[in-house]
Amino acid sequence: MTIEETAWIYILSYSGALGLILLGIIGMVISRHLIRIILGLMLLEAGVNLFLITIGYRANGVAPILVDGQVPAAIMVDPIPQALVLTAIVIGVAVQALALALVVKTYKAYGTLDTQELAEKIAQESGTRIVDGIPVSLPVPATRQLVEEKSA
Amino acid sequence: MNLREITSLIFIFGLGFLLYAVLKTLPYGEIVTGIGPVILDRAPEEVGTANIVASVLLAYRGLDTLGELTVLFVAATAIGLVLGQRRPDTPYDPEAGFILRSAADLLFPFLIVVGAYIILHGHLTPGGGFQGGAILAAAFFIPLLASPASSLNHHVSSLIEGLAGAAFIIIGLIALFGKEYFLAPLFGTGEVGELFSAGSLPLLYLAVGLKVGAELAGLLARLSETEASD
Amino acid sequence: MNAIWLVALPLLGAFLLPIIYRRSTMLGYWTGPFILLVNLAIAFEIWRSITPEQGPHSIAMGGFKAPLGIVFYVDKLALLFIIMVVLGTLILWLGNKIGKIREETLLLLIVGGSCGLALSGDLFNIYVFYEIVAVASYGLAASRGTGAGYAASLRFLILSALGSSLLLLGIALIYAVTGTLNLSHLAELAPEHLNNTVGLVAFALMLIGLGVKAELFPINTWVPEVYATAPPRVSALLGGIISKLALLVILRFLVLIYADNTEAHLLLLNLGILGVISGELAALRATDLRQVLAYSSIAQLGLVAIAFAIPGPAGIMAGTALALHHAIVKPALFMFIEAWGGQLSRLAGAAKVSMLNSILFLVLTLSLVGIPPLPGFWAKLLLLKGALALENSWYIFAIAIVLIATVIETAYFIRIARLMFQHDKPEKPVSALESRELAPALALLGLLLFSALAVGPIGKSLTAVASEAADKNVYIEHTSPVFHESFKSSTKP
Repeated sequence: MTIEETAWIYILSYSGALGLILLGIIGMVISRHLIRIILGLMLLEAGVNLFLITIGYRANGVAPILVDGQVPAAIMVDPIPQALVLTAIVIGVAVQALALALVVKTYKAYGTLDTQELAEKIAQESGTRIVDGIPVSLPVPATRQLVEEKSA
Repeated sequence: MNLREITSLIFIFGLGFLLYAVLKTLPYGEIVTGIGPVILDRAPEEVGTANIVASVLLAYRGLDTLGELTVLFVAATAIGLVLGQRRPDTPYDPEAGFILRSAADLLFPFLIVVGAYIILHGHLTPGGGFQGGAILAAAFFIPLLASPASSLNHHVSSLIEGLAGAAFIIIGLIALFGKEYFLAPLFGTGEVGELFSAGSLPLLYLAVGLKVGAELAGLLARLSETEASD
Repeated sequence: MNAIWLVALPLLGAFLLPIIYRRSTMLGYWTGPFILLVNLAIAFEIWRSITPEQGPHSIAMGGFKAPLGIVFYVDKLALLFIIMVVLGTLILWLGNKIGKIREETLLLLIVGGSCGLALSGDLFNIYVFYEIVAVASYGLAASRGTGAGYAASLRFLILSALGSSLLLLGIALIYAVTGTLNLSHLAELAPEHLNNTVGLVAFALMLIGLGVKAELFPINTWVPEVYATAPPRVSALLGGIISKLALLVILRFLVLIYADNTEAHLLLLNLGILGVISGELAALRATDLRQVLAYSSIAQLGLVAIAFAIPGPAGIMAGTALALHHAIVKPALFMFIEAWGGQLSRLAGAAKVSMLNSILFLVLTLSLVGIPPLPGFWAKLLLLKGALALENSWYIFAIAIVLIATVIETAYFIRIARLMFQHDKPEKPVSALESRELAPALALLGLLLFSALAVGPIGKSLTAVASEAADKNVYIEHTSPVFHESFKSSTKP
């Protein structure tokens, strides 16, 4: 393959990685459902890993494996990004597993997976009120002021 | 919240545009100052694995692999802390049908063999400790999915996990005492392409595979044992 | 003594801790503090072995020379932060209940990961150790077992995982442009390859990633929730100690890779200023002691960020002094949360309940604000002197913000102090601290007073540490023994 054709491999791969990253971040920021937020996180990590792997590609390269003890005739791709991605995937899996365990416990405690409902329930529980997104302590019982606020 | 969503969207589009502008300037192909080509040249004689990625993972950047093992261990410990022990009186999920149960029992030995093969040949072919360990974990977890009443022995799995992880570090410390460098490859390189080559690297992969297998199996078992509602 | 023991020993202990605990509970309980003591001894031994003539040294992992393999760079700045982490965790370990296997495992792993983070001289290795510290902190933040704790820890996890992915993206960008991951090699290549948009974007991405832990604005929204719901010792550890390590890594990047890049320094400076402003204003509005401490923590870390954004040894010295001072005072203040947490009005008449506790609290807050002769004053003075010496309008603006912030801090702490020494008691007054909370607080107060008396010698050794760490040529020179021949530049001897 000529250089121009291999350039298309780079372009497609980098655009795919960029698209996954942006989709992941958008999903994490906009979603209100905890599982969708975690799925956005998975997309983001997949995008970063794809980006990292694409860096290692060489034009017309083959895998960096010696067959029958012989160095392959063609050029070998860069082995470092492959090792880095291996580590990054495992770390990502570990974080996602912990996130899901926390989601399970949060659901057991509050019965909802919607972030806004969770924020209200937690605020009610600790006797605070959400003002501009920051919990503020109340000197009076929470329920009365919340009711007053809703009717105002 | 709408203002926040709009500002986040603007930020994300700005980030996307910036990353696109950056990506257009990235060099395609070989980099003169890079370490990739040097490793490709030196790895076969210095380390002796047929799989050069394995030599990067275990020899050149062995400390990263140790860190990766530690992250998995931290996550498993944190999940154990968060989910807690299983209460003895909680009911198990119902058993799956006959086909699933027999298929799980049939698959078990094949999965063990494939997982062990991938772990032991990690320095010769693509694969290695993590991939083989994941297959071993699946081998122990699929029968658990089919018949949840047969629970995993968490004591044994955490014992294997701890000992295998300690074995990795101890091999590194032996290298420290023997060769003045932590995690230096031991026992010479042998002949490239043989099963018994590349010194202590297959041992490291074995420790990694056992640890990851025990850890993931315990983690998945604990996740499946937790009920979603009280 | 090989510095790798600082990392290998806590990791080994953590892997074997559940097995040891099963044999004997007492043996398991004392394994953790024993390992931390050994780590402390090793760190002091290595500190003594770094003589002014020889200077810092590097260790090649696995015998593979840099930049092919991973290198640890052992200098006094890294050792200082390691001593801070180990000593802080040891003090916070005092009075822990026996038998909490998983929390102790996570604590040992955080210590091991922090030592590796401080010593590492390789970009991806820093990422891996950072993840060890991060995942352990997610677990510890949720260790109280309350529903609010799980939700706060989940929020922390999501934000921090987003940051870590961006950190990895920044590292990938740097690798794509330069082809190497070794910090010393990057320090040589940076002026030609990274002094452009790509380099700045990579720095911004890495700053977001590290900034979650360093409580930088605007990614510090997790701080109030986690501090409110995590056990006080965990909040003390996270906010008082681990956040400083993230700032140390940012400092290393700035000194080595972005040394002449004023935009990078200004970016950190602006984020620090915003952190200080937002933290102090929120603390002024807060009505709960936990929130006051959380927002004040954000503001103090903003001060450290401003200090590290000052190029040259003066900035490093001021930042290290501020970081160490905060690492002593904040955990001690957090010991008060269990007994004194809740509405601020509950604190009225606290002096009557326990005069010792109130005086302790007063001394700690006076040092935080910066009243001479307590160490906080010297640390802030170093910051102001360092920023003034630059004659850049942005830094003068930062000085103004720091002074305004000090005034605001004094305001809300005086308000608390007045409440404490009032005469009327509320319906639900606060109780005195238990001994297991008082002991660490008193130990930290002892350290604080000792450093107040020893300001001169501490200042001199900090100057030496800072001037050693501020010059990237020192770093390059001291890692060249472990460099591979084909990568040594022609200008090196």
